[in-house]
Amino acid sequence: MPPNTPAVLARAKKNRDRRSQAGTIVSYTTVRHPPAGFAPQPRRIAVIALADGTQTIGVVTGDEVIAIGQTVLPRLRLNRVSHDGLRGYDIAYEPVATVREPLQTPFPGYILALTGPSGVGKSSINLLLATVLSDQVAPVPIVTTREPKAHDGTEYRYVTTEEFQSLREQGQLATWADIPSQDERRLYGYVVSDIEAIWQSGKIPSVVTEMHLLQGLAQHYGRRSILSCGLLPPGRSRRKMLSTLLHRLRHRGRDTEQSIRDRVRNAEADLRFFADRADLFDHLIVNEHLDGAVEQVKGIVLELVKA
Amino acid sequence: MYNPPERMPQDIFLIGAGQTRFCEQWDMSLRDLIEASVTAAITDAKLSAIDIDMVIVANMIGDAVADQAHLGALAASLLPHRPPALRVEAACASGSVAVHTACSLLRSGDVGTVLVVGAEKMTDVPNEVVSRALMGASDAEKDAAAGLTFPGIFGLVAQRYQHDYDLTREQLSLVSAQHHQHAVTNPNAQFQKAIPAEMISESPLVADPLRLLDCSPISDGAAACILSVKHRSPFRIAASQLSTDTLSLADRPTLTSFSATKEAAQKAFREADITRDDISHIELHDCFSIAALISLEDLGFAEPGNGISFYEQPDPNLTINQSGGLKACGHPVAATGVKQLIDLRRELRASGEQFGLAHNFGGAGATCCVHLLEHAA
Repeated sequence: MPPNTPAVLARAKKNRDRRSQAGTIVSYTTVRHPPAGFAPQPRRIAVIALADGTQTIGVVTGDEVIAIGQTVLPRLRLNRVSHDGLRGYDIAYEPVATVREPLQTPFPGYILALTGPSGVGKSSINLLLATVLSDQVAPVPIVTTREPKAHDGTEYRYVTTEEFQSLREQGQLATWADIPSQDERRLYGYVVSDIEAIWQSGKIPSVVTEMHLLQGLAQHYGRRSILSCGLLPPGRSRRKMLSTLLHRLRHRGRDTEQSIRDRVRNAEADLRFFADRADLFDHLIVNEHLDGAVEQVKGIVLELVKA
Repeated sequence: MYNPPERMPQDIFLIGAGQTRFCEQWDMSLRDLIEASVTAAITDAKLSAIDIDMVIVANMIGDAVADQAHLGALAASLLPHRPPALRVEAACASGSVAVHTACSLLRSGDVGTVLVVGAEKMTDVPNEVVSRALMGASDAEKDAAAGLTFPGIFGLVAQRYQHDYDLTREQLSLVSAQHHQHAVTNPNAQFQKAIPAEMISESPLVADPLRLLDCSPISDGAAACILSVKHRSPFRIAASQLSTDTLSLADRPTLTSFSATKEAAQKAFREADITRDDISHIELHDCFSIAALISLEDLGFAEPGNGISFYEQPDPNLTINQSGGLKACGHPVAATGVKQLIDLRRELRASGEQFGLAHNFGGAGATCCVHLLEHAA
């Protein structure tokens, strides 16, 4: 057990954010005699399979009967108090009444996911890949509620907000996200049947994602199914990367200044996500030149196909 | 992966061994325990102390519990010529990792005879302090932060094992019961008495579903072995293999199997070029009853979920923890891996059989050593 000092608690915070996810119980126990430094009452502790496919060990709250496979939700709780009164908080997990079988999704196949901030070139790479690897990869249409725009390619399928909600409620979306924007509510998602149709045809579905869509996919199909490539703009510092993106967004001339501001703000969060959730990426690719980046992704896909 | 060059390995012999009894040694310090076992080993080897070229000390929690680190020098200073010395630590596998280190040094040709001593002093401090020190064997950030103990970690393992393989409480109790039965005739065991399975099933809960009598006890003790490429004996180290796994239980794909045990066992059987049928005695790491079952499966003696068959219908050609194991002998953590070799030597001597296997792991199987001891009768 690490000591209860301000530095240790500050470092633990990052881990706490990561563990703040719903999950299912893999196994559990009640420690009748906790070690020195913890309250002497019995502690119920579980191994929990988190929504993103990782596992964690945490306290389970309450005293009702729990079971392997049960769903739990994260709650911030006081974990321990140091002898000089420093209070350490940690994520504990609250059992949810429904009991279902453990989260064991059978391996359905691979999905190529390209993740990165707006303007980094995800869509361009995805479209080029569909051409150079047309026998191996097929892009999955994005279902969205946003208004069609002149520059949009064929990758979008436009629906109303009501239609989107109904797809979601019927469980037809493998993942979805609400990407904030000043002027409208933009919902994006991928439909399960689209992805499965591509698997049926013997190809690897490719999707363009941001952090929420990627996490949703990893939850739906299991982290192992996602061949996850993170795309980064060139630049050594986060500031340099953001300025590259800003430049590219202005240069392509598709967006209003307000929309560019929204996109750069989202991009800041996306770049942080790369650092915080490195476990969700198999490869990080710097998109300096489009051709080079496409070649890299192509190599990754061909290696997988060969294996 | 590193592939060592093909060469005729030099034979390493176990030429002497000695131990203290494992129990609460109220009147002995860590130094006294080390000294007693070393003296016994040197006497047994019929050597002079100055024949020892090097000392390797295995210890896990000396710093936290006895305020004593730097045990290499401490042990060397017990010998008249103060040979070079070092300490190794790999949690509960410290003892066997020390033996493994000794084997590597002996093969390197730098030394001819090495004294390995595993020692632990655990009973001087309250239980919650020992619990906390032992949790150093787990992942401090990922496992220990929740307030787990080692019984807790194996409680998680046992709960999942029972769920996956429908193991009943009555079946699990057979494990400790049999180990206790074996310890009745072992003068070095902490508990030299039989305990019926019903009593185990009714003992207090420690970390559900594990009960008090599923758990190995807190003990003081030391064990020493002298290994040599210069001096011969009828006992040869036929294989010494070390493997590791993720430190945190949370990073494993399964809770009911330890890959380090599997890997170390496979490598050991390959090194010795024998099969499981050649083994007559096993001393395995039953820190908790459930660990004995999982270990038998991972070592390749039983199918997954079927380890209990050895306790329901003991195999007449294979003894398991004839010494009493960690449960009945006691488990002074770093001494256990060394003491297992001493037990195997005694068992092989008595039976006249050829091969014994020692299995010792640290933490929740994050480090595992498998040794095969050959008896040239």
